[in-house]
Amino acid sequence: MLYQIRHVTRFAYAEPVGFARNNLRLKPIHWSGQTLEDHALIIEPQGRVYPTRAEAGLANVVRLVVEQPARTLTIESRARVRVDRPIPIFADTDPSVAEIAERARASRDASPAGPAAYLFPSPRIPLDRDIAEWCAAELDPRRGVLEAALALALRIQREFAFDPTATLVDTSPVEAFRQRGGVCQDFAQIMISGLRAAGLPAAYVSGYIRTLPPPGQPRLVGADATHAWVLVWAGPQLGWVGVDPTNGIWMAGDHIVVAIGRDYADVAPIDGIVLGWGAQEMHVSVDVEPLELAPV
Amino acid sequence: MVSPINAALGGSILASRAATTLFDAATIAHRWIVDYCAHVAESDVLCVQGGDPAWTALFEELAALSGEGLANARERAQRHAEDIGTGFRIVDEGEERPWPLSPVPLLIEKAEWDGIAGGIVQRADLLEAVLQDLYGEGQLVSDGHVPAALVTGSPYFLRPLARLEPPGGHHLQFVAADLCRGPSGEWRVLADHLRAPAGAGYALENRLAMARTLGELPGRLNVERHAPFFAAFREGLAAACRRAEPRIALLTPGRLNPSYAEQAHLARYLGFLLVEGADLAVLDDKLYVRTIAGLKRVDALWHRLDPRLLDPLALDSHSTIGVPGVIDAMVAGNVVIANAPGVGLLESPAFAAFLPRLAEVLTGAPLTLPNIATWWCGQETERAHVTANLDSLLVAPAFGVAPLGLPEGKPVLGAALDPEQRAALLDDMTRRSQDYVGQEVVRLSTMPAIAEDALAPRPFTLRVFAARGEDGRWTVLPGGFARIGEHPDPRAAVMGEGMWSADVCIYGPEPVAPVSLLPSGDTTQLRRNPGTLPSRVADNLFWLGRYLERGEALLQLLRVLLGHSISADTGAALAADTVARLIRLVVASGAAPEPKGVKRADLTQLARTALEGEEDWSSVRAINRQARLIGAVSRERLSADMIRLLDAPFPQRGVLLDKAGSLQRRYSALNGLASEHMTRTDAWRFHDIGRRIERALSAIRFIRNFGGPDATSDDLSTLLDLMDSQISYRQRYLTGMARIPVLDLVTLDPNNPRALVFQVAAISAHLNKLPLLSDDGLAEAQQEQARGIAALLVTTNAQRLDDALLADLETRLGRLSSAVARRYFLQGAEPLRAAGLVLA
Repeated sequence: MLYQIRHVTRFAYAEPVGFARNNLRLKPIHWSGQTLEDHALIIEPQGRVYPTRAEAGLANVVRLVVEQPARTLTIESRARVRVDRPIPIFADTDPSVAEIAERARASRDASPAGPAAYLFPSPRIPLDRDIAEWCAAELDPRRGVLEAALALALRIQREFAFDPTATLVDTSPVEAFRQRGGVCQDFAQIMISGLRAAGLPAAYVSGYIRTLPPPGQPRLVGADATHAWVLVWAGPQLGWVGVDPTNGIWMAGDHIVVAIGRDYADVAPIDGIVLGWGAQEMHVSVDVEPLELAPV
Repeated sequence: MVSPINAALGGSILASRAATTLFDAATIAHRWIVDYCAHVAESDVLCVQGGDPAWTALFEELAALSGEGLANARERAQRHAEDIGTGFRIVDEGEERPWPLSPVPLLIEKAEWDGIAGGIVQRADLLEAVLQDLYGEGQLVSDGHVPAALVTGSPYFLRPLARLEPPGGHHLQFVAADLCRGPSGEWRVLADHLRAPAGAGYALENRLAMARTLGELPGRLNVERHAPFFAAFREGLAAACRRAEPRIALLTPGRLNPSYAEQAHLARYLGFLLVEGADLAVLDDKLYVRTIAGLKRVDALWHRLDPRLLDPLALDSHSTIGVPGVIDAMVAGNVVIANAPGVGLLESPAFAAFLPRLAEVLTGAPLTLPNIATWWCGQETERAHVTANLDSLLVAPAFGVAPLGLPEGKPVLGAALDPEQRAALLDDMTRRSQDYVGQEVVRLSTMPAIAEDALAPRPFTLRVFAARGEDGRWTVLPGGFARIGEHPDPRAAVMGEGMWSADVCIYGPEPVAPVSLLPSGDTTQLRRNPGTLPSRVADNLFWLGRYLERGEALLQLLRVLLGHSISADTGAALAADTVARLIRLVVASGAAPEPKGVKRADLTQLARTALEGEEDWSSVRAINRQARLIGAVSRERLSADMIRLLDAPFPQRGVLLDKAGSLQRRYSALNGLASEHMTRTDAWRFHDIGRRIERALSAIRFIRNFGGPDATSDDLSTLLDLMDSQISYRQRYLTGMARIPVLDLVTLDPNNPRALVFQVAAISAHLNKLPLLSDDGLAEAQQEQARGIAALLVTTNAQRLDDALLADLETRLGRLSSAVARRYFLQGAEPLRAAGLVLA
């Protein structure tokens, strides 16, 4: 499937601000099952865009500097991405949860693509005893890792309420877990916290899912906005496998990966600072349009 | 109990002290040592060396100082420490000094110390080599010498810095380590401090206090000095910079940081600029400090921040104390950051398990200064060892982050766990064994400390420091500071942070050459300009001036009010109208609420609130507090005498008038120090501008209230009192109170230092001497405004001085203050965080 994506972020400030400096992580990365065919950034007012020297994870980061004072800042990212990703199928031969934990501990790969980087609590995803216990029910050490991961995602989707009013971007997974509700970020963070507590490497993915469903299928939750889900490491053969606890499904043909990190802080589509006073407002719109049907 | 020696010598000690002190001291010292050694374990530093002449000399000095009374010696050392500490202790933040000073320093003989120092140098080189690899090629990980999880498990591993070489080529410039001495006298490493090692300032301070307490000892024992070490550090940092005469700054998290005072002290001692994140800016990959003369390059930062907060753009976007873009500037090679961000990953207790092998792999030699034995449970064999020997080991978080099985996040003696904790720990270790280490239970040897009135053995640890010098090689501070445990229990784990600190003296047979951080005369280029004045410092000094002057004006009001109204029956009372005006001024200043009436009790209540009211009112007490807080963050610019006056407690004794009098004397003393003792630098100019603006504003308010067309002679006399011009007036005019002459004297007379015009002229003069941003010869806004005010005063006379003109002047002065702030101070724009996400 070929997707055309339009992701617009508009900041409005009560007073003119100067000297905006931002990190933009908007250009989708290369990742198995997807190819970036085209990408463009349109920024108003125009600023200087250059690659950053220091970066944390699997993300295409550029630095944006806007020096002239402005009341609004609009950042539009346009991407054309071809996605062809099979649905994982679990088998009896899959490595067990305990085996994966053991292999990850012994890993000789400290790179951002290796499992060791995602084995530990991270700034926004602490380990929590309650989350750990709740998730452990699906993560028996002897269970196959794929089966266990999907079971956990399904349980989260089943038992947690989707409620955009329940949480904010900064809400901790511990708080969201207590409320048994939230949005994609909360579900992804809770799941990651649970997987890591069981010793499994788990990463946070920021990306998009298609806005309009194919005929006859339900519309997926998380369209019209940036979406977040989970990658779990399933050993050197299977590699990283994506699971979407918001929808209770595998990451497959409807998911477009933009960036991968330990948590939201590594992959935030836009962060940074501006110099100014007073209130700021932000409006985001995301449109993911299929340009052609996937080959059958 | 009276000792036989003292009883025998009787009163002769007092009678001829000089003749008997030496003999007496030697006797007392001998007995102290004998008594002490009779009761301590063999491993004690004093007794293991059996009759070491150095320790004997130390106790002789102590005995000569305090006679029998050891508690007395302790008190004296403490007093010296506090005295030194006043120069850089924080007010209003509770007890800043973490550990009281013990008067008994730790003595280490030079030969033994050389072994320790050599071990520290080897270790620092090894840590640097490990960092070079982990942030570089990553060979140690891919070859299996370091598990990847050991790197990624540390919260201080900063991936953004991977594959980036720090400017100057080194990750480490200044390191510290905690050492312990075991029962057989062997030294080992308990912990490394790499991120932002603290405590060198305490070592300096302890040495100063020790030298004051035991003045003769350093010379007697040839104690090695600290200054060469700090000089080497400064030169090493300068050598890593690109520019030949680099500007180096110490970046502090700010006044609320518990070791702010230490940082201010070190900055002053090393000649570094003390800055906060908001003082700095990055433009085109270069780092600048905002000063009153515009942006000035900064070439190196010695930072004391959590490194994750250094740069909100490259690292934690939540940081409000960092400098956006500073990592880019570092990567571009334009600023050296000491230590480089990311080095903290080697502080993980888990790393201690790997260092012995890494020493062999990277240097081919074993560690001469070993770690305490450590097992990282992320490996199967090690975990099995730890679980099998749980009762005889300490279990600790592997990375300094609390794991689920150790919710307190602190090391625990396996034997001390209750069954439930033990089960929870072992359970979590089956899933996340990588979060745990086992450590041997370290037993510490003891050193003498003073408990009650006798020497008592106490366990201790030693913090040592090393810095990279100009040639890139390490210099070790001879000494450091010792931390002494509160209880005799010698297990390191239960000692905690310690109870006292002590100086550490390295002594030897050779006399030590005197060295000081001051460079020798013929190599120093003379300067009369003190260099960079950061905008924040200028801002603080300006406001210090304004607050002090505001306090003085309020005091003057209260004294006039109290002096003339309370003694109503003596005949000196002011007319009711005049009293009402005084009350109006006090109330308008926000110092106290409107009184219920004008009876004596009401006025006393008003004055009491305005003088010593808490929180809600801008009383003299509140103004004092503000001035003190500013003083606390301007220590490196103020004299010790000024700081002492600012820190002096609020007067407790006497009636209101006494308190007001005592405070007024204090304010006068501060004023005198500022005008007579501060060098005429730009820093002083800002202080004086602050004072003059405030004084001018008070003058206008007084004149508007007491100098109007309907002013009575009581009003005019009060005005002269408030403006401290009563005597000048009486000398000039024999006619009694007349409005125009009074107005002329307090407003327009250029020879009256309290007159309005005098303040305005002084402000203009200062503004003309301060740096300008452009060299086009045109006046800047603040200069124009000051000239405008001066022109108004020049072109008027006392007859024409009406309320409208005064009101105009008041507004203009307010604007002038803002213009000065806009031009010279950090203000206005605050960083706002951008976050671009709506989640579904």
